[in-house]
Amino acid sequence: MSNEMARMKFYCDDHRCIECFACSVACAEAHELPTGISRRKVITLHDGVEGKEVSTSIACMHCTDAPCEQVCPVDCFYIREDGIVLHDKDKCIGCGYCLYACPFGAPQFPRDGAFGHKGAMDKCTMCAGGPLETNSEKERHLYGQNRIAEGKVPMCAAVCSTNALLVGDAESVSNIYRKRVAGRGQRS
Amino acid sequence: MRKYIYLIIGALCLASAVYANESQIWGEMRIQNILGYGQEESWKLGPLFTMLQSQYFAWIFLGVLLGVPAVFFMHYKIVGPKVFPHSEKKYYAFNLYNRIIHQVAAVSFLVIVPTGFIIVFGDFFGGGTLVRMAKNLHGIFTIPFTIVVIPMALMWLKEALFNLDDVKWFLILGGYLSKEKQIIHASQFNAGQKMWYWVAILGGITMIFSGAFMFFLDFKMEMLHNLTGMSQIDLLRAAAILHNVMGFAVVALFITHVYMSMFAIKGAVHSIITGYVEEEEVKFLHNKWYKKLKDQGKF
Ligand code: SF4
Ligand code: SF4
Repeated sequence: MSNEMARMKFYCDDHRCIECFACSVACAEAHELPTGISRRKVITLHDGVEGKEVSTSIACMHCTDAPCEQVCPVDCFYIREDGIVLHDKDKCIGCGYCLYACPFGAPQFPRDGAFGHKGAMDKCTMCAGGPLETNSEKERHLYGQNRIAEGKVPMCAAVCSTNALLVGDAESVSNIYRKRVAGRGQRS
Repeated sequence: MRKYIYLIIGALCLASAVYANESQIWGEMRIQNILGYGQEESWKLGPLFTMLQSQYFAWIFLGVLLGVPAVFFMHYKIVGPKVFPHSEKKYYAFNLYNRIIHQVAAVSFLVIVPTGFIIVFGDFFGGGTLVRMAKNLHGIFTIPFTIVVIPMALMWLKEALFNLDDVKWFLILGGYLSKEKQIIHASQFNAGQKMWYWVAILGGITMIFSGAFMFFLDFKMEMLHNLTGMSQIDLLRAAAILHNVMGFAVVALFITHVYMSMFAIKGAVHSIITGYVEEEEVKFLHNKWYKKLKDQGKF
């Protein structure tokens, strides 16, 4: 083990994902997201093609050297010691740059007002809230629940019935996944 | 004119209506977008934008913002302004229509350019309400500019076409490097003004489109998709890169335009306010035009 703190990561095992949308719905409900925003999305490729169909669940991947953090003109991102990438909605101006930089299309924008202004960016927080006082009313309103602070697993992974969606420090996640792959008798 | 405005408003409404669920960014296209990010055969616009925006854009803007005025400050100190008498004969060159169109564009620019800088240096201003307001003004003041850009392009098109005299003008930089008043062989617009015309018009239109793309995110342009084969997210990345790069040119020439009219040729700005150009100014700086006007008995 390195002496650095482990980085928290998501991983969705597409051999297990059954496209039930539980993660996506649970996330939206837990954080009371406005309509049109879904921090986590389930996507199916080759829908209906036998043997080729795969589903997976995507949200912010909390990248190491997060590109979103590098391009933000108001510098509103901060990366926690455990690697969770968060941002300050009071600073964000909704310019959209983080979306262009993001490899996963994670940042989303609610529409405010008559001119269709982009509001402050919204993305998955790995259920770790934001820069405001932990578990305050305001934090919950802007960023959703702070389950990490309560020692709980992020909502999406908590409800995943097949345990396809894994979350934890990178090492544990990859250990679990490696064991699974070995169990299935696949190579790599 | 009416029709034209309706067209713009219509396009804007349409663009906001197609938002959200069938979005090409978060909908079905998402996987393709993810796979396309930085892949060998792709345009690599994601990593390219990230690199440019995180390391270069703000610095280049700072360079333009400080460098261009610094050069002009030295010019003012060393060469100095050209002063022409303003009591002599005048010629009415810009009618009310010309001036209104120009003033609408001028006011738009006076809002768009500083707010653009506030966005670029958003971290310096601490983000939040101020910068968010700047971003909204940056978008709102694009509307008046959008309305006048085509009329402006048309009303000065003939005068802004380049010809051989312009090469000579560029060779001596319009005589601005010498303290002497030289007779410069230029027509109504000299090569510098023509250059600004094209950057303001073509650059301006580019800025409108790339800006609208970023403002609405899901602005659908079938033609562009088909033409370039790019996905929406890549178009957005291209728009962001283009908007910044074109911004360097527009801002540099905008500062030049202001310096020339306000300082380098003392009081030249009055001509676009009152509509009257001074005989002496025309005689020296736009001699070809002067001869033409003289032949027509305008002075
Ligand atoms: S928003 Fe995108 S770039 Fe930023 S950490 Fe999440 S996945 Fe990475
Ligand atoms: S949308 Fe907000 S978080 Fe994203 S780059 Fe712009 S200011 Fe930063």
